[in-house]
This record gives sequence, C-alpha cells and structure tokens, in this order.
Amino acid sequence: MKSIVIAHLYPREMNIYGDLGNIITLRKRLEWRGYAAEVRAVEVGKPFDFSEVDIVFGGGGQDSGQLLVGADLAERGEELRRLAAEGVPMLVICGLYQLFGRAFMTLEGQNIPGIDVFRTTTTGSPTRMIGNIVIESSFGRLVGFENHSGQTRLEPEQSPLGKVKRGFGNNSAGKFEGAVSNNAIGCYLHGPVLPKNPELADAMILTALNRKYGVTELASLDDSAELAAAEVAARRP
Amino acid sequence: MRQTLTLAITKIAAGTSRMLGRGGGGALPGLIAEKLDPTLGTNLAAQLPHGVILITGTNGKTTTTKLIAAELEAHGEKVLTNRSGSNLRRGVVSSLIDASNMGGEIDATIGLFEVDEAWLRIVAAELQPRRIVVLNLFRDQLDRYGELDTLAKLIGEGIAATQAELYLNADDPLVASLAKYAARPELVNYFGVEGLPAQTAGHQVSPIDSDHCPICSAELNFSRVFYGHIGHYRCPRGDFSRPQPEVSLTHVNETSAETSKFTVAISGKRQDFELGLPGTYNLYNALAAISLGYGYGVSVANLEQAIRTTDAAFGRVESVAIGNKTLLLLLIKNPTGFTQVIETFLAAKTRPNILMIINDNLADGRDVSWLWDVPLEILAASRPQVICSGIRATDMALRLKYAEIDSLCVEDPSSGLNRLLDAIPDGETGYILPTYTAMVAIRRELSLRTSMPEVKI
Repeated sequence: MKSIVIAHLYPREMNIYGDLGNIITLRKRLEWRGYAAEVRAVEVGKPFDFSEVDIVFGGGGQDSGQLLVGADLAERGEELRRLAAEGVPMLVICGLYQLFGRAFMTLEGQNIPGIDVFRTTTTGSPTRMIGNIVIESSFGRLVGFENHSGQTRLEPEQSPLGKVKRGFGNNSAGKFEGAVSNNAIGCYLHGPVLPKNPELADAMILTALNRKYGVTELASLDDSAELAAAEVAARRP
Repeated sequence: MRQTLTLAITKIAAGTSRMLGRGGGGALPGLIAEKLDPTLGTNLAAQLPHGVILITGTNGKTTTTKLIAAELEAHGEKVLTNRSGSNLRRGVVSSLIDASNMGGEIDATIGLFEVDEAWLRIVAAELQPRRIVVLNLFRDQLDRYGELDTLAKLIGEGIAATQAELYLNADDPLVASLAKYAARPELVNYFGVEGLPAQTAGHQVSPIDSDHCPICSAELNFSRVFYGHIGHYRCPRGDFSRPQPEVSLTHVNETSAETSKFTVAISGKRQDFELGLPGTYNLYNALAAISLGYGYGVSVANLEQAIRTTDAAFGRVESVAIGNKTLLLLLIKNPTGFTQVIETFLAAKTRPNILMIINDNLADGRDVSWLWDVPLEILAASRPQVICSGIRATDMALRLKYAEIDSLCVEDPSSGLNRLLDAIPDGETGYILPTYTAMVAIRRELSLRTSMPEVKI
C-alpha cells in the first residue's frame, strides 16, 4: 500500500486550538482514497530522521511551549530549510508559523530566533486579533479562526498565502495573511484550517503523493459537509 | 448616601427589567453599580458576618458551589450564592444587591460565589474572600482568555490580593502551583485522589493541557493520569511535585450512571460518601466541597448528608421525562468536559440517540476549534445515531464525519429535538449535549413541553 509519512512537530507543546484536526484530516483524506498515513511525532530533545518524511505539520502553542521548542527547532532548522527548498509540503500554524520565520520577539522583549523558512519577522503585541477570518488564496477561498497577538511582517520578496477579505491576518493592518515559500505554507488559520478547506488539504496530499509516487490526480471525495461548515464559518463574527 | 442612591437605582432597574419580561435583571444591577458606586460590592460583602467564599476553575464551579451551599446550610449558615451564568463581577455584585435592603443590610450569614476564572483577580480584590477554592484549569474558550499560563497568573494575582485560605486541587499541576500566591504557607489546603482506576491507555487521545513544570518548564513525569492532565506528577529535575493532600479520595467503591460511592481520608480518618452524580470530574467536585467544608468546621456527618442529598446543578446531568421516553441533558463546553461525557455516558452504549447542539455565541466561545480536541473516535464503536443542531451544527457534523460517524444536520434545535424524540425507542433514554447558550435555549424549549423549569440568565 502506498503510504505517506507525516512529521508532526512537537504535538505535546504545540497542539492548541484543535490543530490536531489537521492531522486527522490529512490522514482520513489519504485513507478514503486507499493510501496509508503514518504520523511520526518530533519531540524536544529526541532524535528524528526527516529523510522519509513526505509532509511536515506543526501547530500553535502557549508562549511557554514556544520557548521550549524554540531551541530544539533551531537545531533542526538546516534540515527543515533543505526539505522546504526541495518542495516537501509543509503547513505550520500560528506559533510554529512564527518560528518558521526569521525571528519572534516576545512582548517581554525576548528574542527567539526562527529557522528562516519564511522571510518574516514577528513581534508580540498587547492586543489579540481574534475572530473568524476569510482570505482569498491560490487555493481558493480559505476560512479559519485567528487568535494571536503576534504581528507578523513579510519582507518584500516573501509571498503571502492570500489576501484578507475579513479579519486581520498577519498583522493589524489586515491586508495579507500567511506566507508561502515553495510548498511550505505558514498561516494563522485555526478552525482547524484543513477540515473546512479541503482544497488546501488535497493540494498538500497531491504534492506529497506526486513527489513520492508520481501520482498526478486524486480521486474526488464528497466535500459537501466540509463546504457547508466553511459557508457557516465565513458568516460568523 | 451614595450607596443608598445606587441601591435604589439598581433595584428599580432590576424590577423594571423583570416587569418587561427580560428576566430577573441578571447582571444589570451590578452593571449599573459599576458606574455609580464602584465600592458597593466591597461594602455589601463586608456586611456578611462570616465573610465570602469564592469558587473558581474551568469545570465544576456550579456543581461544587451547590454542594458547598448544602454543607454550609447543614451547618446552620444562611448562604447567599449567585446563579449559574452570573459569575462575572457584575453578576456577583448583582447577587449582593438583590439580597440587600435599601439600608445595605443583607439577610445572609455568608457569601458563596462561583467566579469566572478570568474575573477572579478583580472579584477577589473587591470582596476580600476568607476562602478561595480552585478546582482545575483546562483549555476553555481560549479566544476569551488567552493562554492557560496567563490565566493561572491572573488567578494568582487575585489570591495575592487577599489573606484567604486556599483549597487547591493537588492533582492539577497548574492549580497546585498557585500555593505560592498564598499570604502565608499555612493557609494552603490540598485535596486530591489517591485511589482511582487510572485512565486506560488508548483513551489518552485528548491532548494534555498543562504537562510542564510550572517552575522550570520541563516536561512533568506522570505516574498516574486520571483524566486530562489531572493525576500524580513530578518534575524530572526535582523542582516541583504533587503536594500531599489532607483530604484525599482513597477508594471508589461503586459507580453507576447515577451515583458514585467512595471513601475519603480526612486528615487520616476514613469516611464513606455517596454522591448522586456520576463521572470522575464529579468526584473531584465532591472532594473540593468536602475539603472546604472540613476546613470550615462542618461536621463529617453534615458533610456526608449534604453530599448525598444534593441534586445536579443546572445543566450538569439533568434528566427529564417526555411521555415514556427519558432525556438526559449533559452540558459540554470544552474538550475535557465533552470527553468525560462521552466516556461516562455514551461510549459503552449500543446505538445511543444523541442530539449535539453547538453554538458559538460569546458565552460559548466564538471558536469551535475545540471540537477537534475531543477524541470522538472512541464513540464510533457504539454506532451512535447523532443529530447536529445549533449555529455551528455543520462544524459538529464535520468533526463526526472525520471520526467515521454519520450524523444528520438540523440547524434549528427545536426541530432537532423533535427528530431525537422520534428516534428514541419507547421506554428508552436519549442524550442532549448542548453548549452553554444552547443549554439555555433547549431548556426553554423543554419547559414548554414538560414540567422542567425554565432558567433565566
């Protein structure tokens, strides 16, 4: 059976706001098409072999979690940068999105260096950006729930994930959300993001299957439940 | 003078609101008092001869408050409490206004208030409680509160603003760590569980909320986990470990869907208790109540009687009969509570009929992401028949789909209720799992059809 290996970054520390739902979604959408999925946890201080990894996922966490994983992530930075450059599909949300950038400066002035997959810098701020968010992206309309106080700024050459239609996105200017480098995506969308945005989930799955097995097309699934939930979320405050 | 005027105005406002059919005024008097006389709460609370007790924590506030009220009444106190859902500052102040006459005199000997975790800091500083109970800290409506560590710090600041005795859950590392905020170390009391069948492996799908050392952030080692992050823990670097509780549950003798029988060691002496509520989380609520009651000086006989005779609090395991069918109402408001409801009531059933009502109003939490932190997969084997209702019915249905559970979306809860009643076989029980505002709405609906009283918030 064709099988996809998903590396889940720091599931103990970085698993806030239902981000586990993204893993469930990748796994189920693979299984429903007759592929297997194997999830391997990347844990602080434990060796991990990225050579067999087809998809990388990481979620958000509390500030304490972020400090804890920051140093560990830095040690894996070179490897993750190489995988991103090779085109491995990645999705990092909120806290790990910030750490996949150049640096994260906390509200208390602590500077946590990032791993430089994205040309972004994030600074902590006293105001939280909270609410349902809708963006327009190359994957179509994406809906999610944002809840962050970090203000993320993109360098001019960094492409965003999409344009904000409703909500804040990267920062309180409310113009753009997320970042895309090659097949690596970073964003603030919880909800979690993949269940209600199946086109994004399938894009990651197809990229992974294509790189590993040369698959060029995915069997279509009935996404009516997914789209109905996205429709309601897009209308809520 | 100012106080009398404020009391008059707030009481008229409450009366008018009642007349207009907008309920008992709920938080309105407190809201007005905040503007007119911000010291009113402090002054009214100071009238209570035996002071104020505050109960906080993510889960179990209402049930624990109800249990403690029964203990204190058995002890001869006249207890003033606030109603469920009025546990922000204005709700607490409203209760004080409601109970006082125009002269600011209160016909009660003691105030017992449940307080929202994020509001404890303000309410504690204002009411200067003599005792504070902290039950547990789970992820709940994080869109309102920010993060768990931040929340614990806020509660700590509330504690530090008082001289209160603390009653802390020894088995919740974040709660136990609040001891450092006590005015003096001898004010700290712990309750905890020694003997309980620990959670079986495989059910540990739910993410652990708080499993790092509050001192050095190292990952805590758990020798036992009872549910969520509640258990016996130790920091690998020796910076922090579970404190030894004075009041501890040593043995669970019997559990059913209706009751729990258990033994508690109170400063070394063993006593049997019976509680008319199922589930591990309710054992902790009872333990908290026993701990506070014992510390207050309530006799063990009165404690035993109060725990045995108290009914479920609003929305926490209520049963209502419609014709020859029974409905069980089980409030769900965060991943831990939802998981406990599944494990306690549903996972062992065959084809249970369930109505899940998910709203995303402010009081429910705007973000419904938490549904994905509930291990609904453990429900799939019982092949439940689920109807999803409420504003975010489609989110519930989507979560169930990915747990391989089919469901039917009926957005209107009243129609959902009809469908549920049709589906329940004669003589059997169906389950309604609503979020907070959905609970209020479905009770209104049920009060039209049965003798269940409506609760106005």
